[in-house]
Formats: sequence, structure tokens, C-alpha cells
Amino acid sequence: MIAELLFGTFFGLLLLGIHRKVIARIQRRPGPPVWQEILHMLKFSFKTTWVPATASAALFVGVVLVAIGIWTAALAVVLSGGSLLIVFAVYMLHKIVEHGFGLSSGSPYGKFGGVRSVISAASEIPLFVSVAGIALFTRSLIISDIVAYQEVHGPLLLTVPLAGLAMYLVLLSKMPFGPFSIVESKELVSGYKTEHFGVWRAGLEVCNGLKTYVLLTTFLLVFVGTMPFLFLLVGMLVLVVSLSFVCALCPMLSPYDSVTVQTIIAGLMLAYVSILVVVS
Amino acid sequence: MNEIGGIPLFYLEFGDIVAYFSPFTLALFLLALVFSVFVIVSRPERQIDIAFGADAFFAKDISLAELRFRRFMAIACGLACMGAMVTGDVFDFTLFVSLVGICNVGIVAAVKNHHVQDAAYQYGLVALAGTVPLFSAAAIVVTTTGSLSMLELASPGAPAVPLIARALLVLGVMGEGMAPFYAAKAEMFRAPGAPYVIMCSLSSLLIFLRVTEVVLLL
Amino acid sequence: MTPATQKSRALAIAVVSALAGITATALTLAGALPPHADAAVLVIAFPAFVLGLYLYWMAREGEADIPFVGY
Repeated sequence: MIAELLFGTFFGLLLLGIHRKVIARIQRRPGPPVWQEILHMLKFSFKTTWVPATASAALFVGVVLVAIGIWTAALAVVLSGGSLLIVFAVYMLHKIVEHGFGLSSGSPYGKFGGVRSVISAASEIPLFVSVAGIALFTRSLIISDIVAYQEVHGPLLLTVPLAGLAMYLVLLSKMPFGPFSIVESKELVSGYKTEHFGVWRAGLEVCNGLKTYVLLTTFLLVFVGTMPFLFLLVGMLVLVVSLSFVCALCPMLSPYDSVTVQTIIAGLMLAYVSILVVVS
Repeated sequence: MNEIGGIPLFYLEFGDIVAYFSPFTLALFLLALVFSVFVIVSRPERQIDIAFGADAFFAKDISLAELRFRRFMAIACGLACMGAMVTGDVFDFTLFVSLVGICNVGIVAAVKNHHVQDAAYQYGLVALAGTVPLFSAAAIVVTTTGSLSMLELASPGAPAVPLIARALLVLGVMGEGMAPFYAAKAEMFRAPGAPYVIMCSLSSLLIFLRVTEVVLLL
Repeated sequence: MTPATQKSRALAIAVVSALAGITATALTLAGALPPHADAAVLVIAFPAFVLGLYLYWMAREGEADIPFVGY
């Protein structure tokens, strides 16, 4: 699994770099080179590092380990075709990681970033909806069963398109520079990441690369089905470019509006899944 | 749908109450454990506040007595969480969930800040109201099926659990701290003491994740 | 703790976790370990390896630079 882990980290960071580049080109800026995020990760890893005097030291360092650890676990689950519910759990627990990053330093910027991450709890409900929508058709939440189902019945994206849309919105709310990225908005310096500098930040970048790779792979496996590895990478690229268009064209919402929009989406999705339950 | 969270790796029997460790419940259990260890080993951070109208800031310190009480409450919350993650008994699950609600109030109740106190009080009311649907769900399950064991209820041929019981279970857990009732909790995060405060949000998320499994399993 | 011991401790963490991860993956490929054991080892070893390695190559052994105090 080591090869997949390293590949996932670097390819995920490359995708984030492409994300920045596409956004920049849409906004008619030259933009950074596509490997900028990989350079970022390496650059931060060479910077002088210590733990701030006001920080809760064990949590400050431990949360970086937890951040990388949970996404390593998620990658293992996706690769072995385990339960989709575990990937869902890791996605939700990433919120706790953001909260931990923000609160552990004692900085007000970090704290506000962390609190914003917690108040946008409604952003996870679409994920629950897409999971429920899938379970209604496949009768299983094991990823390998879902993939097998699609080999017989065709992609789930065509069967339950709105569940696919729900998962797409979930991806969108975790992409940087998007309409819902209030947790790292610039009026909070860098939000929850503000006080994690040097090596800690490099660890966070590793986690971000892995997270992007895992989430995009999950989306493709669950809604399109199994495919050759090269096609999987092309599919991820297409997804990221489409997300970049949304991120480049939508302004970042204010925290209040972001939560309102996410709650409305969550309500609509819950209504959709109740209709699915009644119909089936 | 018997293998929601993967095939159970091992069972731990306490009389007729069976805790089971599937990859899903084990992962959640370990996370609760890791954050409980953080509560035990880490000192609280010193929160920095900016003084408005002046070029100054101040750091908040937590007194030793307050630290001890909150650490105790956070550890209790972690233990309740770990129980709720692996138990295979519906009534046990509801008990652990309500215990999590009580501990969450306890974690922030010692903070001398009226915003935090207000939020803790309001959250306490919601959590208290949430226990009614929670225990009703367990009562409906036992009266309609004659069993409280999740493993028994999930096995093929077991009597069906009524939809209302599952709905009440989810409603009860939402009352203990998920969106939309989460709003009451947001103000609680003003409180300093990161390791303890994180336990509040972690416990809500964990019990929400577990109830998803329980509802799909029954 | 001196900077040199900190540096060697970081290296030790990186090396031990790398060895643990490689051993677990090799044993799994050979069929001696179930795949979930490999995953469990990597969940602990990979974060430790990343932070250990970075702290190792970040750490300076010599005297720190004199900070810039203004003209």
C-alpha cells in the first residue's frame, strides 16, 4: 500500500495545483505552476519549526498526526473495497481535525476558523443523503458490492443522478477557494491553518493531497464504477477542472450565507431521499 | 444489509449485552480513544483575545480547579463515547448517548463566561428534551420486537423494527448535538481549553455516525 | 534537549516508522499478514514517518542565525 499512499499524496497535491492554475486562467491571471502545491509542501518542511508558547502542545502536534492518519485509513478502505460508511466517517471527522487545528494554538484567527468549520455542520448531510440513495439501490454499503452492482446495472450516476450531485457538492465544500471555504477565508489570515507553520503545515499539506485523492477516487468508484487506472486519473482531472470552474466563478459566501445555502441544499436532499424511499 | 460497517472482527460479551468491533465501530472507538488520550496528556492552550480599541491582547489562563473538573468531564465524555461506539444493545446505546449530552454540559459548565454559560444551559435543555425520543425509541423497539440486541434484530428472520422507532432514535441523537440543534452548541466553543472543548464536537459527530449505522442495521 | 539530540530523535522516528511500514507491506505481499494489518500499521507509521522525516531535515545542528533586529 506504500506505493499507492505516496502516489496518492503527490497526485492529490498535483490536482490541487491544477485547481489553482485553472482558477487563475479563468480569472485571466497567469497563476502558479501546476506543481506549486508539491513545492509548497516541500518548502514548508524545511522551515524552522517549534510549538507556540500559548498552544496546547500535545494537541497541536497530535492533530497533525491524526489528520494524516485518518486519510491513510480512508485510502486503505477505498483500495480494499471496504465500507463506504468508514469513508463517510473520515470525511466528517476531518471537521474535528480542522477544529483541533484551529483551537489548539490559542490564536483568535485559528479559533474562528475552527468554529466556522463546526457551524457548517450542515455540509455533511448531503453526503448522508447520497449514501442513503446508494444503499436503496445496491442494498449494501461495501464499496466492492457497489462496484459489482454497477457492472451489472450501469453507472449509479445515471440511476441516482441527484445523489451524485449531493456528493459533488460535498467535494465542492472541501475544495480550497470555493464558495463554501469559509474556514480558510482571508479575513481570518488562513483560518484554521494560521498557526500551524513549518513542518506542521507541511503535514497538513500531505493530508490535503491525500484527502483530495481519496475523495475523488471514492466519487468515481461509487458513481461511475471500476475503470482502468489511467481512466481513473483522467476522470479525477476532469472532476477537478469542473470544480475549478465553480470555484473560479462563485464568490466566497459570507459565513452566515454559506451555512444557509448548505442547510437549504441539505433540506432539498433529505426531501429527495424521502421521495426515493417512498417510491421504492 | 448485515455488513454496513464491514464484518465484525470480534465480539466482547457482557452477559447478554454484546459489544462488537466491526471495522467501522472499531475505527470510531479508536478515534474516541485517541482524543481521550489527548485530553489526559495535553495541557489546555492559553487563548489569546484582542482588546478592542487598544493595541493590546491578553491571554486567558485556566485555574487548576477548573482544569481538573473539566478534564474529568472530558474523560467521562470520552468513555461514554467509546461505549456508544461499540455497544450492540439499543438501550445501552441510548444510555451512553444521554450520558454524552450530560458530560458535554459539564465540560463547559465550569467556565466563568456568561455567553458560554447561556449556551451550555440552552444546550442542556435541548439535550434533556432529546432524551425523550431517545428512550421512547428503545422502548418501542423492545415492546414490538421483544429484543434490544442489535445483532439479533439485524439477523435474517428477526421481527421488523417499526420506522417510527428508528426516526425517534435519529431525532434523539440530533437533539444531543447535531444540526439543526447544533446551533446551541456553537457558542460553547468560545470556552478556552481546546482538548476539552473538542471532546464536545467529537462526541456529537461520533454518536451521529454510529446512529447512522444502527438505523441502517435494525 | 540539545538540537543535535532532537535531530537524531526525529531521524529515529522516521527510520523506525519507515521500516515498520515497509516490513508490513512486504509481509502482506508475501501473504504472511492480512491486508487490514498492513493498513493498521501504515495508519500509525505514515504520519509518524512524514513528521519525523520533515523534523529531521528541518532541524539545524549549528548555531542559529542572529535575528534581524532592524537598521
